[in-house]
Amino acid sequence: MKSKWLSFYAAAFYAFLYMPISVMFFFSFNNARRNVVWRGFTFKWYGVLLRDAGLLGALLTSLKIAVLASLLASVLGLLASYALVCRPPRFGRAFYSSWLNAPLLVPEIVLGVGLLSFFVRIGVPLNFWTLACAHAMLALPYTIGSVRARLLSLKGSQLEEAAMDLGADHWEAFLKVTLPLAKPAIVSGALLAFTISFEDFVTSFFIAGVGVVTMPIKVYSMMKFGVTPEINALSCCLLALTLILLVSAQVLRKSAKA
Amino acid sequence: MPHKIKKFLAWLFSGKSEKASHILILPASFWLAFFLVVPIMLLLVLSLAQLGPYGTIIWHPTLENFRRVFTPLYVPIVARTVAYCGATAVLCLLLGYPTAYFLSFYAGEWRDTFLILLMIPFWTSALVSIYSWIIILGRDGLMNSVLVGSGALGKPLDVLNTPFSVILGLVYFYLPFMILPLYSSLEKIPKQYIEASYDLGAGAFQTFLKVTLPLSLPGVFAGFILTFVPCLGDFLTAEFLGGPRTYLIGNLIENQFLMAQDWPFGAALTAVLLCAMLIGLYYYQKLEAAELAA
Repeated sequence: MKSKWLSFYAAAFYAFLYMPISVMFFFSFNNARRNVVWRGFTFKWYGVLLRDAGLLGALLTSLKIAVLASLLASVLGLLASYALVCRPPRFGRAFYSSWLNAPLLVPEIVLGVGLLSFFVRIGVPLNFWTLACAHAMLALPYTIGSVRARLLSLKGSQLEEAAMDLGADHWEAFLKVTLPLAKPAIVSGALLAFTISFEDFVTSFFIAGVGVVTMPIKVYSMMKFGVTPEINALSCCLLALTLILLVSAQVLRKSAKA
Repeated sequence: MPHKIKKFLAWLFSGKSEKASHILILPASFWLAFFLVVPIMLLLVLSLAQLGPYGTIIWHPTLENFRRVFTPLYVPIVARTVAYCGATAVLCLLLGYPTAYFLSFYAGEWRDTFLILLMIPFWTSALVSIYSWIIILGRDGLMNSVLVGSGALGKPLDVLNTPFSVILGLVYFYLPFMILPLYSSLEKIPKQYIEASYDLGAGAFQTFLKVTLPLSLPGVFAGFILTFVPCLGDFLTAEFLGGPRTYLIGNLIENQFLMAQDWPFGAALTAVLLCAMLIGLYYYQKLEAAELAA
């Protein structure tokens, strides 16, 4: 009896959780300019997106920044997690695991205004590169988390030792055995980092400077301008992209475990 | 590759030397120090500086900026932020507890699916969900067109730009932060405890009140901190779903840095926020430690 009411509540709860997304999805096909009354099915808002040069530019900028940031975060994360798994330093072990998670703990607005004052103070112009570096910092905990878990599960396998018995030195064993085995987790972490960078608004908003318009910043300025069905269509595309990235990351992680 | 470099790499990845481990972690540490710690330190220093003419900064230490935060002009904003975030955390708790309870005890084999479904809105951009709330709540939005169209209302309701819409947006965004810690502490409760309570004659309600709820309190506190604290720095929700009368500290900070160009005052506001965050984090760590010890 009780479980029935609870299941009913859970269903209502999930309906609430997905209502905004569904409404947006539904009305992205609505053939009306202003209001949310159904006026027939259309794909035209998606067409409008494709012809919007500013939007495509923002997409390209976001992709470039996300690629750079995820590469940076992956390399930094791989080195750090290798050290943390293979030989956790006795001094500073506990410190490192909370220290490397610090970007998750600081509210993003603090990071945004902090980085803004920092870059301006040291006289570095705000541009594409500063934004990518900041995104790499935001994404670091995600790449470390993903790679670390995989390396921990590899640790018991003694494959690295086997490689060394066969004449490889530590570097070769790392390069030819550990790295390929950890690859799915590295790629999975990189995809998460990519998503973090691609979707980041708050930090980017403060430090993007004048010339750099990323996708979320573009969405923000469109929203400031007013409600249009074009934003519905755009939001749906972004949502689809996020889902694809997350599902791929998850599938890779599962495949690494098998 | 020169022999020396190869030997160095072999040593670095040997897993035998702690020094090598420190070196491998160094790039990541450097990155965090440079892009996270130094900027925050700079903000703290900046909060003690003074504003000169034309947005320049005079490096003469003063507590004036902090005094200003607590003047009648800004106290209402601080109080409003605390009130809205408190309301958000409480509502998240009330709405999220039954869901967490369902996930822990009744979801069965669908549990993982439900947990993933819970996280998807969290991973989507906050802008996107805020935008969909505008479509739903706006004056000629979905809610009003349904209510007026069906004759339930004579004229449309102005829901947008009220405290209600801001808190709704915040609750929606921070719900997963409440449910996940609740779920993880509910899930840890041994089922035998609950059975024992029934065997001893307690009803469902009494069992919940005397057994389940007390045992889930660490999750309740953790969830409260994890929703309340990040909520304090939110500015997007109030910017789009609210108006000037519902602005929060986050909006004030944004305004000081991007419009008013009073960076020292903005930095002081941020420092206050950071303080609240550190206090929250301290209690959260304590909770975690107590959980591990138990």
